[in-house]
Amino acid sequence: MRYSYIRPREKSMLTPEIQLLAVFFGITIIMLFFTYFFLLFKDYQFTNDRIETTEQKERAQVEIKNMQQQIEFIEKESYLAERIFTKNEVLKDSIANMFDLVPPRITLSEAQLLDNGLVLYGITPNKDVYNFMLQAPLRSIFHRTYSSFYPAENGWIRFVSTNYIDNDDIEEGEIYED
Amino acid sequence: MKINLSRQNIYLLSLSTFLFLFVLFFAFALLIPKGKEYRNKKADLKSENVELTRYTDFRNDVLERLTDLKSKNRNIMQALDRNFNAYRFEKQHRTYFKSLTIAPKLEVVNEKEFRVYEVKTTSQINSPKSFYDFLDALNKGDWIISINFPINFKRENDMISSSFTMKVYGVNQDENTTQSTVSK
Repeated sequence: MRYSYIRPREKSMLTPEIQLLAVFFGITIIMLFFTYFFLLFKDYQFTNDRIETTEQKERAQVEIKNMQQQIEFIEKESYLAERIFTKNEVLKDSIANMFDLVPPRITLSEAQLLDNGLVLYGITPNKDVYNFMLQAPLRSIFHRTYSSFYPAENGWIRFVSTNYIDNDDIEEGEIYED
Repeated sequence: MKINLSRQNIYLLSLSTFLFLFVLFFAFALLIPKGKEYRNKKADLKSENVELTRYTDFRNDVLERLTDLKSKNRNIMQALDRNFNAYRFEKQHRTYFKSLTIAPKLEVVNEKEFRVYEVKTTSQINSPKSFYDFLDALNKGDWIISINFPINFKRENDMISSSFTMKVYGVNQDENTTQSTVSK
């Protein structure tokens, strides 16, 4: 027996209100998940970038260290070479000065340039010429000067002049040791 | 007062509460800490990048200085790298002497970075001027050489015979292999 003339409509859990609610929360949750995964991806990216940056920094540090070592070594080479060039220049001037020191009336037969001194062998017309024209300037340069004479065959006098500078005044050491 | 809630409304209310709590939990438990971490890492990366830029700039400055030094001291570096060759030396400097004899080189110092050889030399010159020219040429030569005491000059008729010791400086190749490799 029927009590109504219409058929009963089927009742569903998904009412329009629940559907609306589901859509609203669904969009919210999707946005939240999207944001979360975006953050996860960025986190991963930052970690990788940081590792790469650190590696680049370490490489740069190693390169800088190597280049600084090279610079230091080249500066050492340059310093060594400059000192040797200067030493050779000074030596040239010293030899030139030594030969200029000898007056025309005195003839040198041998000269020995030592670390701390100078030994001259030669011939002079007489002792006075030697004393005034050679020994006097030598005395002003060297701390200790010794002279010895012996007669030559032609009536002139042979001399040996030994001159020393005291060690305290000499620049000590070799170029390399400096 | 009687609250009359239909079953439908109870479903709706409970679902809303559940989803609301889920959103709150998700936001506070995961999203906000991750956001903070993101902000910190971003700041760290930025500071690392600033530091890297500083290092890169400094490296470029050092490289520029090294290149400049290398170009200015090329001859010196090549001279120190070159092995002493008595025949070549004699050929280059023979013009200053009437005769030139070079004894075999002897190693006198082998320090960490530089090696020093001693070469005894005897020669004959016309005048001291030749010797001065030789000293000038030595400073422009293929090797880094210093003339050392004692130096002897002896008159022999019209000639002056001279004997002296030369010190030839060179780079100790064994010790500097690493540096050379890097520079290449």
